[in-house]
Amino acid sequence: MKSKNRTLQVIVFLTLIVLSLAYLLPIYVMVTTSLKTIEEINRGNYLSLSGNPQFSNYREVLYGSAQFRSHMLPRLINSCIISFSVTFLSALIGGLGGYYLSRTRTTFTRVLFVLVGIALYLPYQAVIIPLVIFMAKTKLALTYWGLIGAYLILNVPLASVLMGTFFLSIPRELEEAAEVDGASKIQTFFRVIMPISLPAYASVAIIVFTQVWNEFFLALSLSSPKTQTVQVVMAEAKGTTIVLYNLQMAAALIAVAIPLIFFLLLGRYFIRGILAGALKG
Amino acid sequence: MALQKTKKYKRKQYTFLDLMVFLFPMLIFLIILYGTLFWTIYVSFSDWKTITPNYQIVGFKWYQFIIAQPRFWVDVQNNLKWLILGVFPTVILAIFLAYLLELSPFPVVESYVRTLILYPVAMSFIVTGTIWSWMYEPNRGVFNTILREIGINSQLRFTTDPQTATYWLILIFIWQYLGFAVIITQSSFRTSELQEMIEAATVDGAGKLRILFSIVLPNIRSGLMVLVSLLLISTLKVFDIVYIVTFGGPGIQTDVLALNMWITTFQQRLFSAGAGLGVIIFLMAFILIIPYTVYALRKWFE
Repeated sequence: MKSKNRTLQVIVFLTLIVLSLAYLLPIYVMVTTSLKTIEEINRGNYLSLSGNPQFSNYREVLYGSAQFRSHMLPRLINSCIISFSVTFLSALIGGLGGYYLSRTRTTFTRVLFVLVGIALYLPYQAVIIPLVIFMAKTKLALTYWGLIGAYLILNVPLASVLMGTFFLSIPRELEEAAEVDGASKIQTFFRVIMPISLPAYASVAIIVFTQVWNEFFLALSLSSPKTQTVQVVMAEAKGTTIVLYNLQMAAALIAVAIPLIFFLLLGRYFIRGILAGALKG
Repeated sequence: MALQKTKKYKRKQYTFLDLMVFLFPMLIFLIILYGTLFWTIYVSFSDWKTITPNYQIVGFKWYQFIIAQPRFWVDVQNNLKWLILGVFPTVILAIFLAYLLELSPFPVVESYVRTLILYPVAMSFIVTGTIWSWMYEPNRGVFNTILREIGINSQLRFTTDPQTATYWLILIFIWQYLGFAVIITQSSFRTSELQEMIEAATVDGAGKLRILFSIVLPNIRSGLMVLVSLLLISTLKVFDIVYIVTFGGPGIQTDVLALNMWITTFQQRLFSAGAGLGVIIFLMAFILIIPYTVYALRKWFE
């Protein structure tokens, strides 16, 4: 249904201009501001490039300074440890669970599926108090396991549904052939299903990773000084360095760098993951 | 457990070991999840109002406390604004853009637009909120400074204006979720049945708008239902944007249930009241997610 209608071309053109402005302006201002000195920012001219790019702003944000105390490097490492662990474990456990959900057709599976479905979109406010109490009692809150565990509770159901959506599209004949050859279900899963599902795992991994990396509510309520994540330190920095926009923007760029790079490199998997969440696997 | 297979080939039954590997790990996390949910419900009926837990049951005392506070009703109003203004403009814009991309004769346009509007999905609300706070800043923020440069003396106070603050916050949400909505809408268009119907209508000489309203929209209902559900649930849970940009201010003008829950629990230490707010948010989410779950269940087990 492609067409070469004149008015249509005008509408497309106008839409492109509006969208470009709306979506490029914030990121443009973020990048240019992060390289300016505070004097340059005070002069206005937000659209101009920095006359003298201050890459030292990034060093200041990463390692901290007198005016930017919440240095980000240790928090970046924390976020990496937590997000990568949760991603790996959710994909593994969710893959196994999702496979079971997609291959059995009993009442039990249906009930399980509804429970998983509700868990998928459960507001964190409904589970936070017991989690905080439990993590404080067991002292898990002081270690990475506190946040990793909390995120797993909420991301394993998500990973199960997403992986299950993909597994549903794999023809059964494949597994049946393997089983006829005498393979057990576990062998079939790891030797036949998993290798052909690597793209699906990639999609689920990037979705879970982005979600955990960007999560704020749990991180705010559960993280101790040692396990604080990038998002929490960002929020802290915004409160304490209200006028240092150059450092704030540098910190913001550092905080989005990793998920943004994943998005730019693996956009295809990212989109497939979003669509699986919308039940369109 | 009886697992019947009605296939030509009778598949092996799940052995105990299989269940331990496939089912057990997921089940553990589900049990903990629902355990914490019921624990929260229990706390909401108890009398825990200091840092030390007190599990003595006092019934609806703290629910009465919650609804007696004017703040709660400000939250409900704001959450309703979020639900309506955060979801419907996003969906309408998404339909417009997705349809335009379908009609557009240039494939380059499509990949450009997709990347352009989808990148915010990879960013956190905390980061977006930080950027937008600065763009919105009334005196030296980006918007007003640029407007002044091109000769418009802008009086916009953005998120510091009590009357309109929430709307400016919702705009950030729309900005961030538009790409997500477009992707889902676009994929609803791409079924072969729908494409054939559109082609047939085009051959019959139907106009583009006519096709959109009488053929496309009625046929992507289920896709739109899923999209609306996902957006509703995201706006209901909104916390980060409000926390980072206004922290509920000016006064409590932009406060929402999720932020109230956090402040009540972790700043005022009224744990039972906080749990009550958590339960209220859960019940609202539960109602909103029913259509999605029913549809998912049908689709999954069809």
